[in-house]
Amino acid sequence: MIALVGVGILLTALYLQAESFVDPQIRAIALQSLLLATLLGWLAWTNRSIDLAIIAALAVGVRAVFIPYVLRRQIRAFRWKVRELRAAHRVTGHALAAVALAIVAWFVFQQTLATVFPEAGAALPFVLLVQGLLMLATRSNTIVQVVGYLEEENAIVYAGALFAQGFPLFIEVVVFLDVLGVVLVGVILSIQRDVTGTPEEASLEELAG
Amino acid sequence: MEWAAQVVNLLQAATVLLLSPLLAGITYRARAWTESRTGPSIFQPYRDLAKYLRKETLLPRFSSRVFVVAPFVAFGAYLLISIVVPVITPYPIPFASTVDFLGGGLLFALAGTVTLLAALDSGSNYAALSASRTVSFAAFAEPTLIIVFFAVAVITGTNNPYVTNNLLAASSAAYLSPTHLLVTAAFFLLLLAETGKLPVESAGLMEFGMLEDGRSFEHSGRLLGLNRWNGWMKQFLLYSVFANVFAMPWGLVATPTVEGALENLVLLVAKLLVVVGVLALVEATVAKVRLFKIQDFLALSFSLAVLAVFAFAVLGVG
Repeated sequence: MIALVGVGILLTALYLQAESFVDPQIRAIALQSLLLATLLGWLAWTNRSIDLAIIAALAVGVRAVFIPYVLRRQIRAFRWKVRELRAAHRVTGHALAAVALAIVAWFVFQQTLATVFPEAGAALPFVLLVQGLLMLATRSNTIVQVVGYLEEENAIVYAGALFAQGFPLFIEVVVFLDVLGVVLVGVILSIQRDVTGTPEEASLEELAG
Repeated sequence: MEWAAQVVNLLQAATVLLLSPLLAGITYRARAWTESRTGPSIFQPYRDLAKYLRKETLLPRFSSRVFVVAPFVAFGAYLLISIVVPVITPYPIPFASTVDFLGGGLLFALAGTVTLLAALDSGSNYAALSASRTVSFAAFAEPTLIIVFFAVAVITGTNNPYVTNNLLAASSAAYLSPTHLLVTAAFFLLLLAETGKLPVESAGLMEFGMLEDGRSFEHSGRLLGLNRWNGWMKQFLLYSVFANVFAMPWGLVATPTVEGALENLVLLVAKLLVVVGVLALVEATVAKVRLFKIQDFLALSFSLAVLAVFAFAVLGVG
């Protein structure tokens, strides 16, 4: 179960790197969150843990439903055509970079943290975190960057689920609120984008304090 | 019994040789159905073959012996592959011990290379264009194939297709392991590319695919017939490996008798029909990608194959 969900999450990460349209990306991050929630739910069931069950429910409600809904609302008028053209020309490069970086991340994990977390699949959250970073580094669309950030947050919750069998509930809830904050910022930036008339970040640089 | 093994050997070679045109016919027919056409008879490839073998063979003025010899070498290579991979037996037949997965891959590469050489030797711009395109994409397809073999090797600890077949048929844990699922997906994508199916190539009744098909542009008569037959045999072998080793390894009768082999033959036909059905569905639902996007398609296949090995390393399960 843990292995299959892990690979599912890895596949969604690869898809996110290779996809250039924004709407499928939002749906993919929703799917990734749903997979994560499945894992959390399963762990909650096997450990009989109420905390984990609450976090699983939060993951479904906030990450798989609410945030994707808010993000999709941002592009509602042009849902079928909003895409990042630069990414569309670099599908091969992005996919191969994602795979290469995953391997590098795994080696780094083996050299540093593998002795502390010897469980099978323990490297996956670390790999996912690096994939989120790669998305933030390679993409310039605001919504896609929020998706990349969500991927990183998913990695943190994933790590919590695997290693600590859930952090204390308070910390997990803070992570969820953190994501909501980012989405809020993303939404504000998107509204600014509508005012400035371009989805690229270059025009928003003048807003930098 | 030694004679039984030899008979099974011959039966397997004859299966690939004689049923490959039928499989091609069924594939054309299935595709026609998905396009709301009646389509040609499933025996049309046999008629085509008979026609090619009767017709006069013309050679380009500046071609050398390579042009003539290549289809025969490729034919020999495919015939050899047909007696070393699991087609109608889950146990190794006499010649199977000569090569492993990698050896089979090299034989496929040999057949592909001589066909390319013949295309270049023809002196035709169109054949050369097709050859150069094929090589460009093979640069991605070949590493994928090698990584697929690696992934199979890490699951089973060996590089032998028969061992893989037996292990996957016996163990549902191995069959459902992430590595196996990913490698099956990677091989399926490769299968689409290697057998000239959509979304990579749209060769058909009205269209000339300029990847695989274009290489035979200057061939005619018997040589063209052989080239076509080679293509059908390649398709049959890849489908068989996909069905027997990767997707549906179950049900093969393990007793080394002629009756057992015949039972397996019936089962193989059923499995191949499933593969044809799935491919027809894929061809009916996807559009052809632009030429330069084929690289993206193959990169995806490559990434899946690498992820298969990666999943094994990270998760520690086959």
